[in-house]
Amino acid sequence: MIEKGKISAFQMALMIEPTVVATAVLVVPSVTAKVAGRDMWISPIFGSLVGFFSLFIVYQLHKHFPEKSIIQYSGDIIGRIPGKIIGLIYLFFLLHSSGIITREYADFIIAAFLPRTPMFVVMGGMILVCAFTVLSGLEVLGRAAQVFVPIFMSTPLLFILLIPDLKLENIVPIMEHGMMPSILGAVIPQGWLSEVSLISMFLPFLKDREKGGKWGIISVIVIILHLVIINIVCLLLYGESVTSYAFPVLTAFRYISVATFFEHLEAVVVIIWVMGAFIKISVFYYVLVLGTAQWLNLSDYRPIVFPIGFLVCLVCIWAAANGQELGRFLRTISPFYIPSIMTFIPMLLLLIAIIKKKMRNKRQPVPTNP
Amino acid sequence: MLFRKNRKRFHEQIQLNTQQEITGQKGLLSSDLDENLHVFHSIYQDCMDVVFRTFLIGGQTRAVLIFIEGLSNLEEVDDNVLAPLASETEGKVRPRELLEKKIHISKMKEVKTVTECIEYISVGFPVLLVEQEMVGLALGLCKWEKRSIEEPQAESVVRGPREGFVEALHVNTSLLRRKIKSPDLKMKSRKIGRYTDTHVVIAYMKGLADQTLIEEVENRLQRIDIDSVLESGYIEELIEDNPYSPFPQLINTERPDVAAANLLEGRVVILVDGTPFVLIAPISFFSLLQSPEDYYQRFLISSAIRLLRFVFMLMSLLLPSLYVAVLTYHQEMVPTALLISMFSSRETVPFPALVEALMMEITFEALREAGVRLPKQVGAAVSIVGALIVGQAAVQAGLVSAPMVIFVAITGVSSFMVPHYTQGIALRMLRFPIMLLAGSLGLLGIMLGVILIVVHLCGLRSFGEPYLSPIAPMKKNELKDSLIRAPWWGMNKRPHLTGEYNPYRQAPGQKPNPGKGDES
Repeated sequence: MIEKGKISAFQMALMIEPTVVATAVLVVPSVTAKVAGRDMWISPIFGSLVGFFSLFIVYQLHKHFPEKSIIQYSGDIIGRIPGKIIGLIYLFFLLHSSGIITREYADFIIAAFLPRTPMFVVMGGMILVCAFTVLSGLEVLGRAAQVFVPIFMSTPLLFILLIPDLKLENIVPIMEHGMMPSILGAVIPQGWLSEVSLISMFLPFLKDREKGGKWGIISVIVIILHLVIINIVCLLLYGESVTSYAFPVLTAFRYISVATFFEHLEAVVVIIWVMGAFIKISVFYYVLVLGTAQWLNLSDYRPIVFPIGFLVCLVCIWAAANGQELGRFLRTISPFYIPSIMTFIPMLLLLIAIIKKKMRNKRQPVPTNP
Repeated sequence: MLFRKNRKRFHEQIQLNTQQEITGQKGLLSSDLDENLHVFHSIYQDCMDVVFRTFLIGGQTRAVLIFIEGLSNLEEVDDNVLAPLASETEGKVRPRELLEKKIHISKMKEVKTVTECIEYISVGFPVLLVEQEMVGLALGLCKWEKRSIEEPQAESVVRGPREGFVEALHVNTSLLRRKIKSPDLKMKSRKIGRYTDTHVVIAYMKGLADQTLIEEVENRLQRIDIDSVLESGYIEELIEDNPYSPFPQLINTERPDVAAANLLEGRVVILVDGTPFVLIAPISFFSLLQSPEDYYQRFLISSAIRLLRFVFMLMSLLLPSLYVAVLTYHQEMVPTALLISMFSSRETVPFPALVEALMMEITFEALREAGVRLPKQVGAAVSIVGALIVGQAAVQAGLVSAPMVIFVAITGVSSFMVPHYTQGIALRMLRFPIMLLAGSLGLLGIMLGVILIVVHLCGLRSFGEPYLSPIAPMKKNELKDSLIRAPWWGMNKRPHLTGEYNPYRQAPGQKPNPGKGDES
């Protein structure tokens, strides 16, 4: 195997949590509120169905091919050449989304923090740090997640300080227009939740494989809780005017003021968010590098870390002309784009694998079609 | 190319040297005393401290005593060797009989080769050679001048044993043996150093320490081929996992109680002759934050102190960078009143915050280093210069701002709160690159720096043990003794990675509960 390190299922869960939440947390309240209005806090719960579904598919595939990642078993399922094509699509998607994520990160940092710093510096610094992590391997990535993610996940605790500003009446009436708005509002969060299927690349490296499924489910549940809490707080704080904020969660922290001394926490929150973004970018970057190495049948993935990092930087610049375009992409295209690769392709693979297995069981020596 | 050539030449040289040694010294002792004397005279040519004392046993048999002045106990030699042998009347005697009858010394060895003789002579054993005998006698009558056992200067405690290791190896091993009386405490000795021939002892607890760990330590020591070992630092640098890491992967201590505690957790202790500092492996990041006193004070207090130490360790790494970042990029974070007072004091300062901070930090490091190296008599001068010139006059002259001086002082104090000097140095070094990052990217730069450090720590290992355990990878049981210290009755298990052979250190359920105890 290319990667020699092993991680625990718990570490995998910790890596997946910010992989979904880190970018979602920025815009989820405002984009879901546009569609779902007051019921926006229900939307992530519906969106989670996609998360559980992708998890289920990936886990079933893992059971069929316990030692392999999606890049490798796609060839086993549909033949060598089609498998390579699927792998290539998957890798291009990963490259593109790594670029997009880095772009989201850079745009947010520039908007919130360093308005006059060139984007290249912000992005390049992060890619460099991530490249260093990817070079160190999966084990180090898992341990780094163990250090940073608990801190990242504890940010909602700061909302306790917001309690005086929250108005509970903003939440009622619940489901005024029936279920439909909240289901439609789930369209965007489900796109992020389908990224859970990235665990297909980590499952072969687990020390305790039997716990993989359990921790996958736990991480999806934690993701939902995280998103629901954020949506509820934003709803109670702003009401339906949440749509008018670019980064409502960040703005929410500006409201915190305790004893007129403990205020302007947003810089601290951004810093903590950087930890989550770091894990997210590293996970995508790592999966991309490892997948490429598997696709090319390399014996080591380290030599391609920096070239691929350079590609990610390029895609990051090309991904969108400006923040508006990026936002439109995230709102309109990505809800269909991400699941079609992350959920739909694995689903097809699983279906074919099951059908092939059934056929093979029916008539023993069968010449399988390529 | 050049490098390889050098190495080849080096190997040739080594072979030459060893060959000479073999032909010259490894030969057996001859039965002719004059021939032996000739060999030793030629070996110890121009060594004024080597004494050849020729005498007659019982007035007939010629014998010679070879020893090095100052290494042997001459009174004992006179009383127990020279006097009884000179008054010997039976005439010709074999050394074997002498050993049994006349010389009453507890430690005595027969030596057969010249090399053995030299080994014993150089550790202070007088060697007795007798006419017509092919076997010499090494007499265990060495007496080395050594420092008496004192309180360790570098690791002082308020409560706890006051004794520290000294330079003499056998004193150190005896100090350990006095703490751990079980015969399971094993000490394996080997010699390292082509010229110094330094004794290095690996101590471990049989049944507690991982067998593979002991083998690994032995293998790494085996590989060392160096001309001298003058301090355990030589060994440390040659056996650590990642030589380029700023973080130490072995800790050194002067305290027998620390060494004993680590032995009992399944770690290996390496003692080196000639230095009071022993090495302990494997360690983790958190063992560097532990002071021996944590285990002697009551657990609530030591837990609180440990947390304080951790916070100040972070401050020693980040405080100047935070100051730079906040003043340069994130003024909105500071409450308005404080911001106004900070800026009014910076009004006259001609430098940007980064330059100011770098200047002050470097000055502080210089003062600290000067204070360590100076003779004690002039130490006062440095502190006066430091306190008055840098602290007071620089602020009055408007070169630096008063808040900066305060931050530098707090950083300095907090870097001294790390109980292990070596780790304090690592963090002090890393402070400077992070300051530069803070000056160029603000808080984001600090975060990137911290991420880099953490990622480095995540990948670091000390003799196979992950450096950041028990946090990453998480070991629930060991968290009891990391940032806090659980009470002794709560720590029933040894650390997982080092003590898995014998996981329980005590009987469970020892939480004191006077009420129940009375009833039963």
